[in-house]
Amino acid sequence: MSTDELSIQFPTFQRELKSFLLRLTASVQDAEDIVQETYLKAQSKIDSFRGDSSLKTWVFSIASNLAKDLLRSQKRWPETVTDICREETLQNKGFLQEAMHIRQTSPQGNFEIREHIAFCFTCIAKSLPLEGHLVILLKEVYDFKVKEIAQILQLSEAMVKYHLHVSRKKMMDIFDQRCSLINKQGICHQCTELNGIFNPKQEAQEELVKIEMAREADRRNRDDLFDLRMNILQELDPFESGAAKLQLHHLEHNRQVMEKYLQNID
Amino acid sequence: MEQKAKTIGKTFSRETSVHASIAADPAIVWALLTHAADYPRWNSTVTSIQGEIKAGGAIELKSTLDAKRTFKLKVKEFVPEKRLVWGDAMGSRVYSLEKSGGGTQFSMSERIGGPLFPLFAGMIPSFDESFDKFTADLKKEAETIQKSKK
Repeated sequence: MSTDELSIQFPTFQRELKSFLLRLTASVQDAEDIVQETYLKAQSKIDSFRGDSSLKTWVFSIASNLAKDLLRSQKRWPETVTDICREETLQNKGFLQEAMHIRQTSPQGNFEIREHIAFCFTCIAKSLPLEGHLVILLKEVYDFKVKEIAQILQLSEAMVKYHLHVSRKKMMDIFDQRCSLINKQGICHQCTELNGIFNPKQEAQEELVKIEMAREADRRNRDDLFDLRMNILQELDPFESGAAKLQLHHLEHNRQVMEKYLQNID
Repeated sequence: MEQKAKTIGKTFSRETSVHASIAADPAIVWALLTHAADYPRWNSTVTSIQGEIKAGGAIELKSTLDAKRTFKLKVKEFVPEKRLVWGDAMGSRVYSLEKSGGGTQFSMSERIGGPLFPLFAGMIPSFDESFDKFTADLKKEAETIQKSKK
């Protein structure tokens, strides 16, 4: 493959790569930086690409290694990230004012509950061990096969299966304890709470029934409901959706809160 | 083939061992045996393991065998997907894995003993039931992961 061919093919999966890196790092700047670094590295190493995998798999491997280098030096977030950040938000008048301004002025400032469900997953998945986080995103959101993930992460297929199994179980357990959309004993209502703030005239229940995961909550098992949650992430591009600007503002807020929180618990 | 745990007692030592065929890749069995924090999720005999199970690592293990006691153990051998040994001055727990077709021949043994063993032998509970549970849990979890459709 030549660098010219790379420059033609790279843009065909660049958006997916950027969204993967955003969901991994929770930082727009880090995601954009790693996309650029990935391209430069792929360009400089193009001679070593032998076609043993697809170009997309090879490029995701470079990006995953760069992301791992960055994230290994950072602490993982706690499972309670959304509770901690909610408390901080309530004390931060500037945050809600800025968010309301985005809501009123930006074409990407809508608040949609399903967008918040995806945002919530992005935050909570950062409590998984790094390998598990990578595997669950690559498999469940970006639809790579186990064999391809093994190539991307330089793991055996058995280890990919192990990480996938453990990460799915852990995320299901966390959502069981906090997401009232799929478990009636759940305690988290942040998505509907925020809907009340940003869409005061809209009935949250009416919005919820539009989401298959919420509609099917009583009929499906945990695995099915988790898959439906993953469908929501698959369908959304966090940079391009109608709620992107509002959600990215919220994500950056949470990232900053977490950075401070993790420094303080040293 | 699964066998019930067996214990052979001698004057100065006691050894319990168990064997099982597990229909899962040794890498999966190894992953379950070496991810310390994950034990309580799948293993009904382990309450918690602090520390890292790696070559030269140190762990603190709490088990249902004696809920009040924390076992401070060192990882003595660590041969990926083949052999893991942890223990203290009193004894060692040995896990052996052998690839067999598409699965794994698993065995686990623990020998405790020494010159003072006869003095406290009667105070140490039998390991047999705990070994059987450990092995059954490991087999069930590893085979579930192996069979996962994902």
